[in-house]
Amino acid sequence: MAFHTLDGNEAVASVAYRLSETIAIYPITPASVMGEHADDWAVLGKPNLWGQVPGVVEMQSEAGAAGAMHGALQAGSLVTTFTASQGLLLMLPNLFKIAGELSPFCMHVAARSVATHALSIFCDHSDVMCARGTGFALLASGSVQEAQDLAAIGHAVTLESRIPVMHFFDGFRTSHEIDKIVALSDEDLQALVSHQAVEAHRNRRMTPDRPVVRGTSQNPDAFFQSREATNPFYQAFPERLEAVMGRFAEITGRHYRLFDYVGHPQAERVVILMGSGAECAHETVEWLMAQEEKVGVLKVRLFRPFATDRFLQALPDTVKHLAVLDRTKEPGAQGEPLLLEVSAGLMEAYSRGEREILPRLIGGRYGLSSREFTPAMVCAVFAQLEEPSAKTRFTVGVRDDVTHLSLDVDSELDIESPQTRRALFFGLGADGTVSSNKSSIRILGEGTDLFAQGHFVYDSKKSGATTVSHLRFGPLPIRSSYQIRQAQFVAVHAPQFLERFDILEHAAPGATVLLNVPWPADQVWDRLSVEAQRVLVERKARLFVIDAAEVAEKAGLERRINTVMQVCFFALADILPRDEAIARIKESIRQTWGRRGPEVVRRNVEAVDSALANLHEVTVPGEVTATHTRPSRVPVDAPDFVQKVTRLLMDGQGDRLPVSAFPADGTWPTGTSQYEKRGIALEIPVWEPDLCVQCNFCTMICPHTAIISKVFEPEAGKGAPSSFEAVPETHTPELEGLDYRLQVAPEDCTGCGLCVEVCPAKDRTRPKRKAINMQPLEEHREAEAENLAFLRSLPDVPRNRIPRDFKSLPLLIPLFEYSGACSGCGETPYIRLLTQLLGDRLLIANATGCSSIYGGNLPTTPYTVNADGRGPTWNNSLFEDAAELGLGMRMGLNKLVGRARQLLEDMKASLSPELYRRLTRPCTTLDETAMAQRREAVSELRDWLGDQQGPGAQELASLADELCPKSVWVIGGDGWAYDIGYGGLDHALASGQNLKLLVLDTEVYSNTGGQQSKATPMGAVAKFAAAGKETRKKDLGLLAMSYGHVYVAQIAMQSHSNQTTKALQEAESFDGPALIIAHSPCIAHGYDLVHSPAQQRRAVDSWAWPLYRFDPRRIHEGLPPLQLDSVRQKVPMKTYMQEEARFRMLELRDPERYEQLVAAASEAAKEQRELYMQLAGIHFEAHEYPESDHKEGDRHD
Amino acid sequence: MTELTTRWLGLDLRSPLVVGASPLTDDLEALKACVGAGAGAVVMHSLFEEQLVAEQMAAHHFIDSRINMDAEARSFFPESDVFEMGSGSYLKRLDLLQDALDVPVIASLNGISSGGWTQHARELEDAGAAAIELNLYDLAMDPSDTAATLEQRQLEVVRSVVEQVTIPVSVKLSSFYSALPAFVAGVEAAGARGLVLFNRFYQPDMDLDELELSREVVLSSNAELPLRLHGMAMLFNRTGLEMAASGGVHSGDDATKAILSGATVVQLVSALLVEGPSALGRITGELNQRLSTMGYRNLAEARGALSLDNAPNAGAWERLNYARLLHGWQSVQ
Repeated sequence: MAFHTLDGNEAVASVAYRLSETIAIYPITPASVMGEHADDWAVLGKPNLWGQVPGVVEMQSEAGAAGAMHGALQAGSLVTTFTASQGLLLMLPNLFKIAGELSPFCMHVAARSVATHALSIFCDHSDVMCARGTGFALLASGSVQEAQDLAAIGHAVTLESRIPVMHFFDGFRTSHEIDKIVALSDEDLQALVSHQAVEAHRNRRMTPDRPVVRGTSQNPDAFFQSREATNPFYQAFPERLEAVMGRFAEITGRHYRLFDYVGHPQAERVVILMGSGAECAHETVEWLMAQEEKVGVLKVRLFRPFATDRFLQALPDTVKHLAVLDRTKEPGAQGEPLLLEVSAGLMEAYSRGEREILPRLIGGRYGLSSREFTPAMVCAVFAQLEEPSAKTRFTVGVRDDVTHLSLDVDSELDIESPQTRRALFFGLGADGTVSSNKSSIRILGEGTDLFAQGHFVYDSKKSGATTVSHLRFGPLPIRSSYQIRQAQFVAVHAPQFLERFDILEHAAPGATVLLNVPWPADQVWDRLSVEAQRVLVERKARLFVIDAAEVAEKAGLERRINTVMQVCFFALADILPRDEAIARIKESIRQTWGRRGPEVVRRNVEAVDSALANLHEVTVPGEVTATHTRPSRVPVDAPDFVQKVTRLLMDGQGDRLPVSAFPADGTWPTGTSQYEKRGIALEIPVWEPDLCVQCNFCTMICPHTAIISKVFEPEAGKGAPSSFEAVPETHTPELEGLDYRLQVAPEDCTGCGLCVEVCPAKDRTRPKRKAINMQPLEEHREAEAENLAFLRSLPDVPRNRIPRDFKSLPLLIPLFEYSGACSGCGETPYIRLLTQLLGDRLLIANATGCSSIYGGNLPTTPYTVNADGRGPTWNNSLFEDAAELGLGMRMGLNKLVGRARQLLEDMKASLSPELYRRLTRPCTTLDETAMAQRREAVSELRDWLGDQQGPGAQELASLADELCPKSVWVIGGDGWAYDIGYGGLDHALASGQNLKLLVLDTEVYSNTGGQQSKATPMGAVAKFAAAGKETRKKDLGLLAMSYGHVYVAQIAMQSHSNQTTKALQEAESFDGPALIIAHSPCIAHGYDLVHSPAQQRRAVDSWAWPLYRFDPRRIHEGLPPLQLDSVRQKVPMKTYMQEEARFRMLELRDPERYEQLVAAASEAAKEQRELYMQLAGIHFEAHEYPESDHKEGDRHD
Repeated sequence: MTELTTRWLGLDLRSPLVVGASPLTDDLEALKACVGAGAGAVVMHSLFEEQLVAEQMAAHHFIDSRINMDAEARSFFPESDVFEMGSGSYLKRLDLLQDALDVPVIASLNGISSGGWTQHARELEDAGAAAIELNLYDLAMDPSDTAATLEQRQLEVVRSVVEQVTIPVSVKLSSFYSALPAFVAGVEAAGARGLVLFNRFYQPDMDLDELELSREVVLSSNAELPLRLHGMAMLFNRTGLEMAASGGVHSGDDATKAILSGATVVQLVSALLVEGPSALGRITGELNQRLSTMGYRNLAEARGALSLDNAPNAGAWERLNYARLLHGWQSVQ
């Protein structure tokens, strides 16, 4: 038997790939990885079972993928896809078609919550349950082994039954869990699949040689009968599935049934469920049976078609109490889907007399959005079944203090076998902890007889992210599909966690605790908090410490400590002989990094070799000696909601919050990121006022609003902290008399260094000293935090005093701050600038993607409010519909504005003419003076309305704010704008509505991990374009220009902020649709983003990213609407391309193709430039190249 | 007509004019044209260990460390893109040039670690390089690092590389040695076959507007030639090593002077970059013309004719000092 240690996604993809000829996909978490594996294998030329390399195509959406799948099936191909959640929903129409046409087809779903009040990337079955009416067979697996096996069974049975199969398994649990499994060989698959059935499928293909017509339109006289004609296929399906499962058992020895029962043969209490939760129930049932309990679990493999007879056969006759657990919620239903199927089946059997006892049936929900489902919860369900007045409908895993549906759970219960060793690792996203743990599991899985399991949990931050790795290994099969609560080994890879989380609570009695800390071993104990010391003392833990960062740095690995910590783990965990473990780690390094070159291997091996010499044990005294306690995560003056809810979410204790703590409709307060002080930078910028020229380039570029510039009345600065310096504002005549200060937010800075990079002010005697310089966080943290608090408390100067030029705009208060975006993110500065211009009058419709994650992922969110409590209001609907969402907002808003005006007109006679005039005279969102006056007038109106009795008075009071103009902006990435949302974007532009669309173009699907989009430039390597993209980037701007009534601009803020600020303001002032395409440097480009300003300049100068503005208003002025802001091609395309890994990878891999694509990209840029030149000169009879207002030598434009 | 064939490092060359280490390595068409115009051999640009290491570590930092750090994005680049970040692409290029060019292709190596020098040298030999040109360069920054220790280290590098390979090894030197003949003797003793005189360096300039350093590639002019002529003239007949002139040859007369001062081959780079491959044909013609006019039947007759040993007024090679030159000028008066 060949054991492999791999995750569910890879196990499933491996089977699906080998059994398919055409694979149409679209990236979606947590299923993306399956498609990526398929693409990788296809690039490497790996054949399927029939010796062909499957065709893998990434479509523009799941709807597109489904259409392609349908077509490929009609052409007689063997087809698969991988998806989840919203993706599955987009496929639904075609799934009905595929099933309606009885097409053999097996797809794989990493089940994930469907977005409702919020998006969730985590697991439940709400997606697959939406598909239960499609006519697909629904096959559920609960572990990595099962997922692999049922994937194969699914492909085999669909061919023989003609019923398409949706095989699903739990996203982020099974899909991402690494297990040691018995792998299916090609021979196994050959023996399983009926080649006769393959031939039969092919023979049904559409071909002009034997023409048929499918997809007819049918009338009432034909449709119904046709639908009923499929019945025999569904009736035959269970038997066919059993036959395939039987054949599978003969081949592999692993026997699956439609319903697998585990438990006491005369069980009285049984739970029924499907998915990974069934494994936890299986483990719990075995534990309860050992205590003489008559309990059992029925695992549902085949949910649809629901085979009642098999279900009844599998369920012991003795059952008196039955609990059906659904991992989904169908509000308002009599019960969730599995409960309804079971009820109907039992009821019918009982009514027909086929069953003597009708068990008492209760149904509950569990595990929504990957909520933990533990043995304690299974026990709670069994306990409930014993209750005389059991809750007929219940939830388990939450505390429902509103409708009181939840079951009480014994949170102390721990049934894990002592033979299974458990280890927890708390790491930073960037330190490689997860990667090395994956390697450790493989070492253990493949190098020993032990079973091994790895599960990984990530927080939602893209910079300074926290990861928790849960590793189990032992001699017994591991069914624990839940997180480790207490481990015998706890490793803390980042010292700051000790102050942020109650990490050591996870240490089991007698545990080994390993800390990576930058302190000498003899100082460690005294530096620990009371809480940490108490756990170590009480649990008699052994404490080991290492300064892994120093070891890694000495080996030339910067702060990548993973191999060092991995060595320590193996040395302390004592599972393998130390030398063998180290040899295997080195071998793993060679295998993983060998392709990068010998130096990478050498340095990692050096780190391995020097690890143990730096590992020290610290004696744990018999008592707690510390005096400092772990600080509270949020300041005491934080709002009540933040104290009661947000703080617990930040602490990782959100599970403890009851239902009543949460808004029922997904409405949350903004401005909470300011309370999440993560302190993730090692170095922060420190201001040197004597050198500063007040250009504000630093605050303009900062991705995290972690450096701000502010002007204020000198008088207000009195009483400032001692280190708070300010200088007179000298840059802008309009601000004369004010003081100026540049302020870092020390605990919010990510240390990207962009601010220092763009700082133009140098000390003439020592030019490497700039007006801001990176210095260690710890030296400045306290003082600068105090200074920041003081600066934030200072009143803002009136907005109309601040000029609207690119150097002064950063002085406006930003209403987007401290997001969790990547360090150096190229998207966020655009959003921050937008909020500075329009924040208190801004509605945002945000497409799903990076900007919705750093913009709206709990626990804290970055959109915030000004001193008046106004700020951006934000909503993320879906990935595909942001433009439509924004269009709807605009139209809805227009109606409210219209109604407010109508009411105002109705009251004109009784209103003071002066106030009426102030409420109706011209006022635009960019006219600060008019806006301030309008707000004042609205306030007076509301006061006046308070005294009015008329029917419209209250209505107008509630709508009066709409008399102040508002702006609706749609924000999304290129995946939205160019691909999945293009239809909607196009329609919104065509609508003529006053709607602004901002495309943060990273030229790749950044959020899901670098898949190509139609914005990906020619020659770039991306997922699904591993050989370098052959076709040109779609010219989205040109398509929008073709309407003639759309304002269009292409901008690049990191290098040309002047043009950016012009474009944003022109777009806003344009009374109609506007499209702004913003160049957004991204880590997916593969270079150090501190160089993004220079690299972006190369993009502009090479015409990879031309800057332009297309303003339809100019047509009326007799001017060409298109203005080029970058006219000349100043550097060759190659000069730009050679600086980014996405292009360089191709050069290294295939230099000739690289040269060809560089030449083609150059040609494309040349042609685009020619076309744009002509468009920009379109007004003139004689062909003259237009003059630009581009100024040479101006650093920022 | 002068017979232009020569032997360099034991390789039979049809011409002493060799394409020197340069970006031309990446331009196969240009190299073919150079060979078509009569080039005797091609030296590839250097395999820079430091650059390989920097790029490997950059990839490790900016690609590999962004794997498994995010719930949604497992990584940001396709895993199948197993792109070689070691010497692989250089070796592939070497292979391609050998196939495409019918003259010897000499690899150039610039290492930083002792293991790197020898490992890469072996790889170059295995990949079929006709010879290896070692590009020795150390920037002495540590005050405790004396010239002697530094030179010993360099000689050790030469020795270890020579021991590792069977193909001939030449050594490209900078012009900044205090005692060049002694060092060259060490190089010879270490087993090298040839010298390339001298290396040219990227010399940072200053941007006075930005108050920072700027890096521009400045191509050579024949003003740089005399330094090379002097070095070779001094060493000719005083070392068993064959010598190649590198830097400042832009015309047939420049090449002639290099040969007269002792060069066995003459490397061309800047002339080719400025003028294109046709420069090679031009210089070959001019060289032939000049040597024929001077009555040399072959290169051996011309080689070193104006070296310190052979020049009629050889003392001029030794009078580099300004005061002496001034004195000479006065005496003529």
